[in-house]
Amino acid sequence: MNLELSDEQIALRDTVRSFLAEKASIAGHVRPMLEDPTGTTEAVWRGLADLGTTGLLVPPECDGAGMTMVEAGIVLEELGAGLHPGPWLSTAVAATRALTRFGVDSSTAAPLFSGIADGSRTVAVGPLDGVRPAAVELGDGVVLRGTIDHVWDVAAADVLLVLADERDSTGLFAVQMPTPGVQVTPQTGIDQTRKQFRVILDDTPAQRVATASPDTVEALVDDVAIAWAADALGAARAVLQLAIEYAKVRRQFGQPIGAFQAVQHLCVDMYETVELARSGVIHALWAADAADREERHLAAIRAKAFAGRLATVADNAIQVFGGIGYTWEHDAHLYLKRLLSWNAFLGGPDRYLVEVGAQFAESVLH
Amino acid sequence: MADAGWAAVSWPQEYGGRGATVLEQLVYAEETTRARVPMPLNVIGMNNIAPAIMQYGTEAQKLTLLPRMMRADDIWCQGMSEPEAGSDLASLRTRAVRENDHFVINGQKTWTSLGYRADWCQLYVRTDPDAPKHKGISCLIVDMSLPGIEVRPLVTLSGEADFAEVFFNDVWVPADALLGPVNGGWQIATTTLSHERAGAARLYTEMQMRLTELVADLADVHIDGRPVLEDATTLRRLGEIALCIKYLEVLCQRSISAILHGGDAFGSASLAKTIWGEVGQEIAALAFDLLGSHTNGRRWADYRLTSRSLTIAGGTTQINKNITAQRVLGLPRS
Repeated sequence: MNLELSDEQIALRDTVRSFLAEKASIAGHVRPMLEDPTGTTEAVWRGLADLGTTGLLVPPECDGAGMTMVEAGIVLEELGAGLHPGPWLSTAVAATRALTRFGVDSSTAAPLFSGIADGSRTVAVGPLDGVRPAAVELGDGVVLRGTIDHVWDVAAADVLLVLADERDSTGLFAVQMPTPGVQVTPQTGIDQTRKQFRVILDDTPAQRVATASPDTVEALVDDVAIAWAADALGAARAVLQLAIEYAKVRRQFGQPIGAFQAVQHLCVDMYETVELARSGVIHALWAADAADREERHLAAIRAKAFAGRLATVADNAIQVFGGIGYTWEHDAHLYLKRLLSWNAFLGGPDRYLVEVGAQFAESVLH
Repeated sequence: MADAGWAAVSWPQEYGGRGATVLEQLVYAEETTRARVPMPLNVIGMNNIAPAIMQYGTEAQKLTLLPRMMRADDIWCQGMSEPEAGSDLASLRTRAVRENDHFVINGQKTWTSLGYRADWCQLYVRTDPDAPKHKGISCLIVDMSLPGIEVRPLVTLSGEADFAEVFFNDVWVPADALLGPVNGGWQIATTTLSHERAGAARLYTEMQMRLTELVADLADVHIDGRPVLEDATTLRRLGEIALCIKYLEVLCQRSISAILHGGDAFGSASLAKTIWGEVGQEIAALAFDLLGSHTNGRRWADYRLTSRSLTIAGGTTQINKNITAQRVLGLPRS
């Protein structure tokens, strides 16, 4: 039983961490990108691709690294810790997993895979929940009709992968971006480091690339949720670390506030929550590739069920910072918002907690 | 069990154990807990006292004491807490004064588990009242049948005599009762390495079993004519607990992985103990809320009471948090 990171995994983590610190810091990149619909720049995206991160999950025959969600999770934790606003999760995880999970024909998938790996293509994927648009045969081709809400990273995307309902099944469709007849409107959520959009498809020409069974759709949604959980873990870890460092140096009543038990216990509660979350993320990232359907799905549900408690880490961090943590100039609120948008993704934690409970009862009684 | 070394799988073979590896201990802990094997009566002796005797004891102490401990021929207790020394253990005041080839002991211990039936006590006493408090403590191995020792059972909130007060009134013990160096007792108390290195496995397995038993007891319970296990509020509470137990399981396995592969243990032992205690109390609260007045709810009513000890015994949650804050997070001492 070895749950330690390997030397290669530690090297990957350290490489991404120092790239983000040097080229995509919060002050130098994240804040300037808060109002930018793409969330990235040519230089930063190129840098992430040159490090090999965008191709981590791309098969080796398409110039990727052919790695697992465990390695993707290592990158995601660093991106979350750095509040990274770019389309990495959409492109490097959601799109590659969609192409893989749905078994997209290699002649169609190969150019997308290669483009993702070399950084020349960014891809958005949706919808992951709610009503899907309709795919309708028109003339020689297929067009998509309908409105999708909360699709990430559409403004940055060269290709939009759409799950759409056909007469008797669900298919995966590729839409080249931009295309006339696709209306893209930013949807400002609570978290400005996550770029979300409403996409209105008005008889938009699309290429059908695969059939999506309910099981594979569920698998894709699980992958994205598990990836998001790793990102959120990074955000929680980082804001906890900031709070601890602050508690060591901020002095009141002649001593560091971190010497007061009330502050110490708050920090330990946050630490406990972060380490529980890390335990769940380690298991879920492993399950995404190695477990059976039931265990993987439950791991994703658990991660969502824990999202509410994880967000309290940022709440409590702001409590440790006091007034300064309540200001716009301090980074704490950006972390809180990142964790709250994970909390809101696919619906709040309550129903997932109910599901975890129901599943446990079921496992005992049957 | 004792003949084949199963009574002490984690002990080295030279002392009659099986010298089990960490992974073997993990499996043993999981399986015995799942099979509801009772914890050995002498668990404190076997897990906490025996390693100190192996590490610091004389050959005579090892030979005479350890085999009888493993067979439960002798029952052991630990004399640590005192009325004025609970979480602040190092301020203990029970005195031992050297008189030629004896120590003479006076003082009082409390919350002594098994004190009322123990044959031997690993006793922490003050031997140098002038030294800084951590540096004047020694450890003695005391025969509980000696004159001057009086044991009074302490009845707990659930009505059971789980532990005891132990009074020492001019108790003469031979000088060779000393374990380790004079005034080296604090080091024994804080640095003895238990051989039981996969003990964390018991924490999550125990709670998995308890929650499983609760769900089984709830199978036929109805509220307003509907099965309680279809009630969303109940399922949500159940979900919170099941989630926490699953994450506790992985957290404990990370801790064991760190032992096996030399990784960072991230203060996991203390975290796991805290979470285990809180999970137990949440199970107890849920069970009592649903079954407290039920005909088969008696054991859950008892657990509602006894689970309070989970965050007190063996170091309170608050002391654990102080230690984690200072030693793991690096926050300054208050």
